[in-house]
Amino acid sequence: MKLQNIKLILAREVRDQLRDRRTLFMIAVLPVLLYPLLGMSFLQVSQFLKEHPTRVLVVGGGELANHQSTPRLFDVPARRFDRALFHREGEADLVELTFADADVLLPSRGAGDKASADQLAAAARAKMRAGHYDAVVYFPNDFAAQLAAFRAELKSRARRTSDAPVAPEPRPAANANVVAERTKIPSPVIYNNTSREASQIARSRIETALFNWTTKVGEQNLIDSDVPKIAARPFSLESNDVAEAGGREAVTWAKILPFVLMIWALTGAFYPAVDLCAGEKERGTLETLLSSPAERSEIVVGKLLTVMGFSMATAVLNLASMGMTGAIVLAAQPQLGEALQLGLPPVESLFWLGIALPPVSALFSGLAVALAAFARSTKEGQYYLMPLILVSMPLMILPMQPSMELTLGTSLVPVTGLMLLLRELVMANYAVAATYAAPVVGVTLAGCFFAVRWAIDQFNSESVLFRESERLDLALWLRHLRADRLATPTAGMAVACGVLILLIRFFTGIVLPMPETTDGLIVMQAVTLIAFVAAPALIMTCVLTRDPRATLSLRLPRWQTIPAVVLLAVSVHPLATLLQHVLKTLYPIDTESLNAVMARYADIPFGWMLLVLAVLPALCEELAFRGFVLSGLRDAGHPWRAILVSSVFFGLAHAFLVQQTISAMIFGVLLGYLAVRSGSLLCPVLFHMIHNAMLFGLFALGDKTAAAPEWTKWLFDPTGDAEAAYRPPVMIAAAGLAVMAFVWFRRATRQAPAAEPISETPSGGEQTAAQIPPPIPREHATA
Amino acid sequence: MIHVWQLTKTYADLRRGKIVALDGLSFDAWEGQIYGLLGPNGAGKTTALRILSTVLQPTSGSATVNGFDVVRQSGEVRRQIGFVSANTAVYDRMTAWEMVEYFGRLHDIERDELRDRMERIFTRLQMQEIRDLLGAKMSTGMKQKVSIARALVHDPPVLIFDEATSGLDVLVARALLDIVAQLREQGKCIIFSTHIMREAERLCDRLAIMFHGHILAEGTLAELRDEHSEADLEELFFQLISKHEQANRSKERLEVGG
Repeated sequence: MKLQNIKLILAREVRDQLRDRRTLFMIAVLPVLLYPLLGMSFLQVSQFLKEHPTRVLVVGGGELANHQSTPRLFDVPARRFDRALFHREGEADLVELTFADADVLLPSRGAGDKASADQLAAAARAKMRAGHYDAVVYFPNDFAAQLAAFRAELKSRARRTSDAPVAPEPRPAANANVVAERTKIPSPVIYNNTSREASQIARSRIETALFNWTTKVGEQNLIDSDVPKIAARPFSLESNDVAEAGGREAVTWAKILPFVLMIWALTGAFYPAVDLCAGEKERGTLETLLSSPAERSEIVVGKLLTVMGFSMATAVLNLASMGMTGAIVLAAQPQLGEALQLGLPPVESLFWLGIALPPVSALFSGLAVALAAFARSTKEGQYYLMPLILVSMPLMILPMQPSMELTLGTSLVPVTGLMLLLRELVMANYAVAATYAAPVVGVTLAGCFFAVRWAIDQFNSESVLFRESERLDLALWLRHLRADRLATPTAGMAVACGVLILLIRFFTGIVLPMPETTDGLIVMQAVTLIAFVAAPALIMTCVLTRDPRATLSLRLPRWQTIPAVVLLAVSVHPLATLLQHVLKTLYPIDTESLNAVMARYADIPFGWMLLVLAVLPALCEELAFRGFVLSGLRDAGHPWRAILVSSVFFGLAHAFLVQQTISAMIFGVLLGYLAVRSGSLLCPVLFHMIHNAMLFGLFALGDKTAAAPEWTKWLFDPTGDAEAAYRPPVMIAAAGLAVMAFVWFRRATRQAPAAEPISETPSGGEQTAAQIPPPIPREHATA
Repeated sequence: MIHVWQLTKTYADLRRGKIVALDGLSFDAWEGQIYGLLGPNGAGKTTALRILSTVLQPTSGSATVNGFDVVRQSGEVRRQIGFVSANTAVYDRMTAWEMVEYFGRLHDIERDELRDRMERIFTRLQMQEIRDLLGAKMSTGMKQKVSIARALVHDPPVLIFDEATSGLDVLVARALLDIVAQLREQGKCIIFSTHIMREAERLCDRLAIMFHGHILAEGTLAELRDEHSEADLEELFFQLISKHEQANRSKERLEVGG
């Protein structure tokens, strides 16, 4: 790769993008306009909420003014609430009141009738519409009179008690109850229309006024009853925030800033990438560039750097514009900042964002360039934005959850880990950040590497660069799949099979209820494995391939491999328990829910348990994942990549628990290796079966430790928890044994035929495994 | 200069199954010579020239350009050729001058030398008036001139023109043919693919008539005329192709019958 060429390409692409008005609009004009516009409308809305005058119809409240002793609610001549009821000066003037008699709402009825709540609401709605009122306050008949009567009673009772000599008799208490029961004052009702903004404002103002008035009435009542006012609230609650200065603001910013950074880094990468790759294809200039001396890697790197530059510029411009707007809005409305606990973000946070931006941009740029290179036209390219966002959005939203903390587990999730790390850095929790910086940086850099590699691969692939538009014809395609089927499946079929199994599991998991009985559990476990794991793979094998035996590696391995695999499975088991223990420490399990599930399995008789938890899973899952999926993936190239991808599917199919997924992925790699190396499905089936049997056997043993035979005490520590119960010397010995068994297996399979790629398996069924099979010539479908 | 030996290229296509774009193509072309590839659409001309310009890789067979292998020394091969094709477009958001300069710089030409060379090329191709015009605003003829300037800027020994006159009006096409003829005088090795007989007749020193991915007949115009005793190239072309199609059909019939 020549630096000179990369620089030339970079300079040209940047200039090209800067001359494109659409790109400039996306990266520069939009953010610069967007946030001020948002801020302005925000200010206007809050201004509206503050200053908009509202009209309120007061029904039946006019008489309150006649009762001088009651605290004042209305200023009737001025047609407003009493000024003292509002904290903010002038707010009382914003509520224009119209007074009406109580029977205005239901004029046809006599005053004595009790109107139902629905009728009143309907009448209020009609009034609001007809009179253009924003809200209606309804005071029921005699509200004022009853309130006054109640208060008079309180007063007279207080006078009686104070007149009474020496000790109070028990009578007043009983008397108070009588008062409370006798005078149940009907509640005033506010009618408002939530679908109208002004109506909501009116309601909140009325509520403020009525609440404050009620408090006043209550206080007055206490005074009238000779109880000190303070009795209602003998003490007040004080809270004190111990967060350091800036810390409070940092919490909110720590969530917002990384999210804004990520989302704009992604958007900013995508549009230039589509123009640079798909656009160039569409305009026909790609071939010009490809026939120039620039190497493809130089072209990709040049384009990637351009895309990265625009991604970073977009993120920075958005953050800057958002920050400026925020500062202006907060300056205009200081109380708003207080309410939202938002101040200006701490300066150090900008530094950390700056450091995080390049890898984030590199990751998204790589993905965007690879996707855009695949697209035939800019239009097609734009369609790929949505899937990309759908995949990355959950990773960005996850860290915003309050419960998400930076742990070793979360730090290993791409994007999420980085956002959580940024959060800690913005909040200045440097100790926590330093602990997990290494895994986050590692995962992020690995992500960048693979994204960039993918982009370069796309540019090296003829079928991607010169993809011709084919009309999608489903019938033709299906006929082609059947008629032109090959001996073994293609990588695409393998992926389809894996995805199909995952989808079936997902949906049946939602639809099928957990069985109540132990028998039901056995049946469901068996049906799930046979119908939803093995069956799809077997059907696809029969329909889509010409050689099921080769596809599923159904042949005998050399005899020596069998004891080697058995020994390996047995000796690996203690290590597996150790792995599970480590995983549990990394990703703590909600043990209660786990125990609930495990307890259900514990009821299954041991024989049945062996069948549904060891034999059937070994057969069904190996047929699917080491059979169809792995042999299809091997068609795409390197065996290790095929093994890794198949084990990812295998892991995802165990997505009941994260811990299970990870250990299944690790064992998937080992099982895949056994299958590829021996060329026989028997090896992984055997390993899987023994492994599961021992795992659940140990579980059963741990459950009934007291009843376990004496010799087991030498192997297990009965006091330890079941997953890590092996004694350390046993563990070390087993590890040594496992290495030996592995070497034995390797030796036993050294000259085995299946060290050859699986795609070159014998076509004739008669050949034994020991013979070297003649390769079948294959056409590689590039379409 | 250019040696093509048993070149094949196959694609998989959903609708039509396996497509053989090139089926054992072999030819040689030398400096100071215009080698014409004549064939109907879909004969495999573009695929062959794309392989020569290293944009595509052959399925089997080999090709060398000025001694460099198109697969193993693809970078060197690209320095030896100037490639003008209907598919090598001009950047919309670059001026003529910027476009040619960009490719000159990619060819690692010194700035000063590049400027001198570009001045000469722009004058020779009468492009001085469009030097600051953006690609998006150019006519087809102007774009083709820029493409030629781009292909000539590094003074390559080999030039490949793939249907370079398609879409051009008579005047511009004629001017282009003149330029190609001049380039031959300078001793360049030129491959000129076309489906227009008149152009081939006027220009080419040797001709190959391509059909279904291989060459049906090859030689100088005179040799072809003598061999097939047909003076008119178009007539000759037509006869060859219909004869070949007939042979194909009878072969198929034989296969089906047998």
